[in-house]
Formats: sequence, structure tokens, C-alpha cells
Amino acid sequence: MVKHIAKRVIVTIPVLLGMVLVIFFMLNVVPGDPVTVMMREHLKEDLIDRLRQSMHLDDPFFVRYFRYIWDALHGDLGVSWKLNRPVTGLIANAFPCTLKLAVASSVFSWIMGIPVGIISAVKKNSLVDHLSMGVSLFGVSMPIFWVALILQNMFKNVLPVSGIESWKSYILPTIVLGWSSAGRIARLTRSNLLEVLRNDYIRTARSKGLSPLRVITGHALKNALIPVVTVMAIQISSLLSGAAITESVFAIPGVGSLAVSAIKNRDMPLLQGTVIFTAVLIIAGNLVADALYSAIDPRIRVE
Amino acid sequence: MSNILEIKNLSVSFASDGIKERAIAVNGVDIDIPQGRTVGLVGESGCGKSVTSLAVMGLLADNGRVEGGEAMFGGQDLLKLPDRELRRIRGNRISMIFQEPMTSLNPVITAGKQVAEALRLHAGLDAAAAKARTIEIFEKVGIPEPERRFGCYPHQLSGGLRQRVMIGMAMVMKPDLLIADEPTTALDVSIEAQILRLMRDLQRESGTSILMITHNLGVVAELCDEVYVMYAGEVVERADVMTLFSQCAHPYTRGLMASLPRMTPKGRRLYNIQGTVPNLRAMPAGCRFSPRCEFARERCKTEKPPLVDVGNGHLCRCFEPRTTPIAWGGDGL
Ligand SMILES: Nc1ncnc2c1ncn2[C@@H]1O[C@H](COP(=O)(O)OP(=O)(O)O)[C@@H](O)[C@H]1O
Ligand SMILES: [Mg+2]
Repeated sequence: MVKHIAKRVIVTIPVLLGMVLVIFFMLNVVPGDPVTVMMREHLKEDLIDRLRQSMHLDDPFFVRYFRYIWDALHGDLGVSWKLNRPVTGLIANAFPCTLKLAVASSVFSWIMGIPVGIISAVKKNSLVDHLSMGVSLFGVSMPIFWVALILQNMFKNVLPVSGIESWKSYILPTIVLGWSSAGRIARLTRSNLLEVLRNDYIRTARSKGLSPLRVITGHALKNALIPVVTVMAIQISSLLSGAAITESVFAIPGVGSLAVSAIKNRDMPLLQGTVIFTAVLIIAGNLVADALYSAIDPRIRVE
Repeated sequence: MSNILEIKNLSVSFASDGIKERAIAVNGVDIDIPQGRTVGLVGESGCGKSVTSLAVMGLLADNGRVEGGEAMFGGQDLLKLPDRELRRIRGNRISMIFQEPMTSLNPVITAGKQVAEALRLHAGLDAAAAKARTIEIFEKVGIPEPERRFGCYPHQLSGGLRQRVMIGMAMVMKPDLLIADEPTTALDVSIEAQILRLMRDLQRESGTSILMITHNLGVVAELCDEVYVMYAGEVVERADVMTLFSQCAHPYTRGLMASLPRMTPKGRRLYNIQGTVPNLRAMPAGCRFSPRCEFARERCKTEKPPLVDVGNGHLCRCFEPRTTPIAWGGDGL
């Protein structure tokens, strides 16, 4: 088990390196030199050259790439061109907001999604089922910014809709983000549970004299939730890397907002940093999902 | 001798999507299971054997419905019992074994826990006591290293071992009646023999009555005292096992006998009944077997034969029951 996970971790190293390379390359071919960005216009040629040199911008691509990796391994993702502060520190400052929002909206989506999925499956084709699947589909398919704007308008007199004032500021963004996750989880839970309930071993469990509730909780759920749990792990990791749209709409100073401002300002080190941060989190999320999968499904376990 | 279970005039129907009329899968079946005996229920696949047993246990699929009849067990009609009370009987006084040992056990719960669960539910044992009892029963059903096997997941066990786990699960409460639905069909012949021997031994010890569902007449000969033959949702013949193998009277049963692989002076031969089991929604008028029967007359095609006693409780649903003894080893039917 431990060996299995260790193997997966090692496999991700080249993936990470390659990914950083791609990101690094893409952001380096984009026009927009830091010096011109920082100084805007009206600079003498020789000053530009001196600045370029001091920032090692004239070094060959791979030298810069490996220097970036080396620095990143030491926690240094460079300095933001625009804000003139270390990228690592900027991300670290923004992360708590993102973390709170990610945890709140994930928990919201589990608490809503799983029970709704179970009830819909048990009461298949009833009014409750149609209603909750409709609401779920709505959550999954409506654009996030649109839902956000509607909710902001509906609740603007009761709840804060912009910036972080208190815990109340998290309510609307949590619902906006959690709704679509909850919808996805509810639909997945329902379809998995219905699938599982058709299995022979469910009939065996019933033939033992177990009540319908115990058949569901004791025999069906564990099988039905295995794929749901892995989806949940991946979902939370992508939420942790910042929900750019939601954070922007609600003016939450999280990692997502940071990335958006980096794009607006052509702030390459900051953009690079947030993109790599996101990618690392998603890879980690996949690893956790994998580990969870083998922890709860005995058939996957490596002996 | 008293009967542990009396199924009377049982009918079961199924709904299917888009079709208004329900399909009748079991039509007026009567089966008596005497105390302590083993009763066989045979017939080709699709003739309603499983549906009959599931209806009695209240385990029909959602689209299934009991249309009528009763199943008397210990003075109660199982078909009218509220689910709550039926659950107290299931797995306790009546238990079941199913055909597929591969899929009948929950893949994410250990074999031991799945057996212990029944003990905790019906005998009210705590976890430790249930585990001890489960290990005992594992030993009794011939599972080697029972302590270790307690913690094994189904995929870590062979088909034969899984079926032993199922039997352990079914027998752990010492039920009055065991319904075994093709328990050995999915197993190798040598494993099948072991499992059948195990069932016979357990029965001798506990006095449990068995309803043995199978399409294998070899299993019937091995284990059963009495036999019911079903065709297209109806009982077509009932006899004790000696009578059945020496002089079964229904042409369908004779066809089944003739299709047993056996040695003849001309070498190995296999007989096949012509045609297939009729569709539930297109049952032939008259005798349901008539389209496939080589002895069918005009009358058979229009008039339905009743189940009549052809002597000593030997029942047969045919206007012209065969009377010649079966010539084992010969060519005749
Ligand atoms: N859930 C179901 N829905 C519709 N038809 C069913 C269902 N279960 C069984 N049947 C039909 O009932 C008939 C009897 O099936 P079954 O009792 O399983 O046969 P067998 O004798 O092989 O055990 C078959 O025609 C089968 O198609
Ligand atoms: Mg069957």
C-alpha cells in the first residue's frame, strides 16, 4: 500500500517537470518584456539592456528554466513584476481565503450532494427525485458568473456580496461554488447507487433479513461511493487552487483573484507561480484520490 | 408427515417498460416441501424456478408482483406477511443460496463479516461472539484456515470457497428451510460434488428441509427425495425421485431424461428437445408444451390438460401420460 503510493509519487516527478517546462515555455514566448512592462515607455536603450541583464533575461532558455526549478525547490517563485513582492509570499497571503472558500464549498457540496443522491435513488422516479435532479442539473449547467450575479442581486440587502468582511462574506460564494459540485455529486451518487442496487449481492443482503435501510447503508453505499469519493478529492484540489471566476465576482482576495490580476497586468512570474501552484495541487489531488480509492476498495489494494 | 412449506396456486407477473399487459412468469404453482426432506425443482432455464422461490421470500424485483396464491410456513402466509415480519424469517428460518458465488457476495465487505452480520441480526450476538461463531461455521463448511479466511474479501477466495461461505451464511442460523437456487451450476464438476456432499451432511445434521432448484437431473438424483418439474411457469409433473427416474410420465420430463448424456450400445448420444421455451407473452393455447411435444394431438393444442394423479401422488399434466418404464441405456423415450 505504502509502496504503491510511493511509486505513484515518484511517477509524478517527471510529470511536474514537464508541466513546468510547458508553462515556462508558453509564458516566455508571449510578447511583453518585464522591463517594458515595469518601465512602460520612454526608456533609454542602454538602461533597458542593463536591466535585462540584471534580470538574467538574456540567458539561454534552458538555463533560465533550470534556475527557475532550482529556485522553486527553495520556495522562491520569483518576484512579481507589477507588485514587486515575492510570488511565494503573495500566494501564501492569498491562500487562506481560497482555502476557506474551498473547504466551505466542498463540505456544502458533500452535505447536499450525497444525501440528495441517495434519496433520489431510493425514491427513483418520484417527485422528490425529479425535483432534486432538476435542481442539480441546473447547478451543473448554469454558468457560475451568472448564478453568482443572480444571487448577489437577490441577497444584496441581507448578505455581503463583495470583499471579505466576516464569515458571512463566504456564504454566497460557497453556495455558488458548492451548488455545481453538489449537483455533480448528487447525480453521480444517484446513478452509482442505482447501478449497485441491481447487483446480486444486494439480493443476498436482503435474503439475510436486513432492513432496506441497512441494505443501503451497510451494503450498497460503500460500493456506490467509491467513485464519488475520488471525484470529491479531485474537486476539492481544483477548488483549492482558486476559483478564479467566483473570487473575482465576489472580490475575494484569493489565489484565483491573484491569477486574474497577473493576467491583466502581464505579470509573468506571478502568473507562472499561480499556474504551477494550481497544477501541483491538482496532481496532489489525483494522488490523494488514488490513495483513497485503494484504501476503500479492497479489490484495488496491492498485496 | 407435515409440510414445512406449502405453496398454493402461486402466480407472479412482471411489468415491462412500454407494455401495458403484465407478463405472467409463474402460473398457479403448487409445491409442498415436507419436513426434513429435499425437494427438487427442475426445468429448463427461464421456466420460472427462480421467480417462484424469490416470490416466496418476498425478494422479487421491483417490477414483479404476486398475483395470487399463498405460501404457508409455520401457520403464516409468507405472501401476506408485512415486510417487517418477513425479514425476521429471512436469513433466520428460511435462507437462500444463489447460483453465482462470484457476484452473490459483496466485494467490499470481508467474507467473515457478511456471515457474522446474520448472527448479529438474528441471534443478537456482539461482534466478538459473532466472529467466533462464524469461524466455527467456516470450519464446519470445510473452509481451510477459517480464522484467516474470516478477514478475506470475496475476490481473494476461489469459486468453491465462496459458495462454501454462502452455505455457511445460509446455514448459520440453522434454518428450517434452505432454498438453493442452482448452487453448483457455476462450479466445476469436482467442486460441485463436494458442495453437494456438504449440503447433504449439513442437512443430515440439522434436519433442515431443502428446496433444490436446478436444471441438472444429476443433482436431483444425488440429493432429492421428491421432484417437481416446471415448464413455462407451471408444474407439469411431480413424483418421488425413484418414480421420476424409472417412469416419469410427462413427455417434457421424458425429453429431459433423454437429453442426459449417457452411454448406449451405439456409443455416447445426446438428445435435445426440439424448440425453445415459449415467450411469456405468447403462451400456446392448450398444453404449453404441445408445440414441442412429439406426441401432441389436436386436443392438446386447444384444451389445457389439468394436473392429475396418475398413481400414488405421482402428478402429471398431460392427456396421455407415458406409462412405459424408461429404458436407461436404450434409445427409446
Ligand atoms: N425482473 C424481471 N422482469 C421481467 N421478467 C422477468 C424478471 N425476472 C424473471 N423474469 C422472467 O420470468 C421468467 C422466469 O424466469 P426465472 O424464474 O428466472 O427462470 P429460471 O427457471 O431459469 O430460474 C423468464 O421468462 C424471465 O424472463
Ligand atoms: Mg434461475
